[in-house]
Amino acid sequence: MTARPGAPAPAGTGAGAGEAPGPAAAAQAPGRPAVPQGLRRDAERFQWGSLALLVPSAALLAVLFIIPVVYAFYLGFTNLQLVGIHAVDWHFTGAENLRRLAGDQVFRYSMELTLAFIAGSVAGVVIIGLALAMLMQTALAPVRIVAGGIVIVAWMMPAITAGMTWYASTTAGGTFGTLLGLANSDFLHREPLLIVTLANIWSQTGFAMMVFGAALRNIPRDLLESAQIENASRPQRFARITLPLLRPTIVTTVLLITLISLANFGLIYVMTQGGPGNATDILPLYSYQQAFQFDNLAYGALIGNALVILCAIFGAIYVRASRSRA
Amino acid sequence: MTAVGAAPEAAARRPAMPPANRASLRALSGQAIANVLLAIFGALFLLPMLWLVLASVDANASWSVEVPHLTAANFADALSGSNLQSIINSIVMSGVSTVIATICGALAAYALSRRRIPWKGPLLLAVLFLSGVPLAILVIPVFQMYSAIGWLSLLPCSLFLAVTSLPFEIYLIKNFIDAVPRDVEEAARMERAGTFQILTRVVGPLALPGIGAAAIYGFVTAWGSFLVPLVLITDPSQQPGSIAIFGFIGNAYVRYGDIAAFSLIYAVPILLLYALSARLFRGGFVLSGAVKG
Repeated sequence: MTARPGAPAPAGTGAGAGEAPGPAAAAQAPGRPAVPQGLRRDAERFQWGSLALLVPSAALLAVLFIIPVVYAFYLGFTNLQLVGIHAVDWHFTGAENLRRLAGDQVFRYSMELTLAFIAGSVAGVVIIGLALAMLMQTALAPVRIVAGGIVIVAWMMPAITAGMTWYASTTAGGTFGTLLGLANSDFLHREPLLIVTLANIWSQTGFAMMVFGAALRNIPRDLLESAQIENASRPQRFARITLPLLRPTIVTTVLLITLISLANFGLIYVMTQGGPGNATDILPLYSYQQAFQFDNLAYGALIGNALVILCAIFGAIYVRASRSRA
Repeated sequence: MTAVGAAPEAAARRPAMPPANRASLRALSGQAIANVLLAIFGALFLLPMLWLVLASVDANASWSVEVPHLTAANFADALSGSNLQSIINSIVMSGVSTVIATICGALAAYALSRRRIPWKGPLLLAVLFLSGVPLAILVIPVFQMYSAIGWLSLLPCSLFLAVTSLPFEIYLIKNFIDAVPRDVEEAARMERAGTFQILTRVVGPLALPGIGAAAIYGFVTAWGSFLVPLVLITDPSQQPGSIAIFGFIGNAYVRYGDIAAFSLIYAVPILLLYALSARLFRGGFVLSGAVKG
């Protein structure tokens, strides 16, 4: 494209002008060879039929996705309630909810819990997922298939099944307590955030393992082999070759796991419903609680807005990380 | 994959050279360690599942892992009356949502892949961005919108679930259509095939693995969804299985065996779909070879 500086310009402006190059584009479609320079031979003019293809998705996304996001932003600054007088007669209240948010100890706590939950989940999923993917490369087929199968089944399980499974295993009398000889210790009650994070790691690792497995297979073997001939140790090969080549995959996986973990509402809700106390009340749960259990729809929406801002920050960090070449 | 076969072979070839022999020994012990570690990881991941399987066939199950008094009654309970209804609701909810999202997604994906569309780059970025928006923030405004028009029921809820998986489905299908060679499509157009025919006869079948993967993604997402039906469906008899499980716990006495059996049943369709998608992708690899030739 950039090789011929003259050619792309007419093609580019043609796109903007729409109708002007129309006949020419139509004429070249059957014959094709008439367009030698920069212009892609398949470059078509805009067709109204394309809109018909886009309309169903665009309409659905506009009405049930984009409008709700904007609406949620507005609702956060009103006094809307689920029941009672403010369920019908509600109005804009300016910064009142913001003031409430600023003084809300539970919100601060919820924010800390969210960050801890995300950090723990991401670290666990990436490290264990990468370790599993690397072990799979050298392990024998039967071990690989059985162990990999178990990890993937854990990943595929619906949130409620995973939640029930982990609830049963970590509550008083559960599998973990029995195995550790502490049959009656209620791990879930004593270390709720840790257990919920472990459950989340358990249910996401299969995804990371598959992604890393594919990325590892794409690393050229001769690179690693030549390093081996140069007497590079295993850790050296990992740190100097594998890890840098995997970096883009790791960055993407970190973002995806962050978003998926924040969406893993069902898992935590089934296990603890945000409790005991507020010990596992991460932002999505706190937002739900305020909106539908304490009836403060507007305040719940505002907490949701805070969650969006948090996700946007994560996204921005991701964009920076994926662009910089360390 | 190749490492498994290669390592013993290398070990057999090398014994003539002493230093290499040591290296191959190290490689062998490394392999042994890898196997043991992987087995340990597998066992740790299996551990929580033990209760699920054992309690589901245990007549007097509790939260503990015990040798079960074998029975099938738990599964019978889990599949009777309102429990069965909730599973049917799940099937309807996920099915409707998948059909809507996959058809709309495939149409949009085709347009975004093949047609000249102004602002295509930003549009695609916006679609990708939407697939990352956390659902928790959408539930409150959609609840407010739905309750205003009396839509807090199963089918509107399915429609909303379709919308939530739509952005990622568009992206997924678009990537697959991008990989379908244009020549095939141009040949069809020369034969005066219309857009609809090209979609259903040419591009559709060739991008089937992608469309299938997107449909499976949509189904799995809807099937596992918890927060959305919890908020958007008010009638208990319309609730899907993921919410119904709470009825089990809320009962006067908790029937652990039923919970385990129901949780297990609820996971089965997902596991089957995963197996199916693995086959679909294998079909996809064969296909890419056939098109080239």
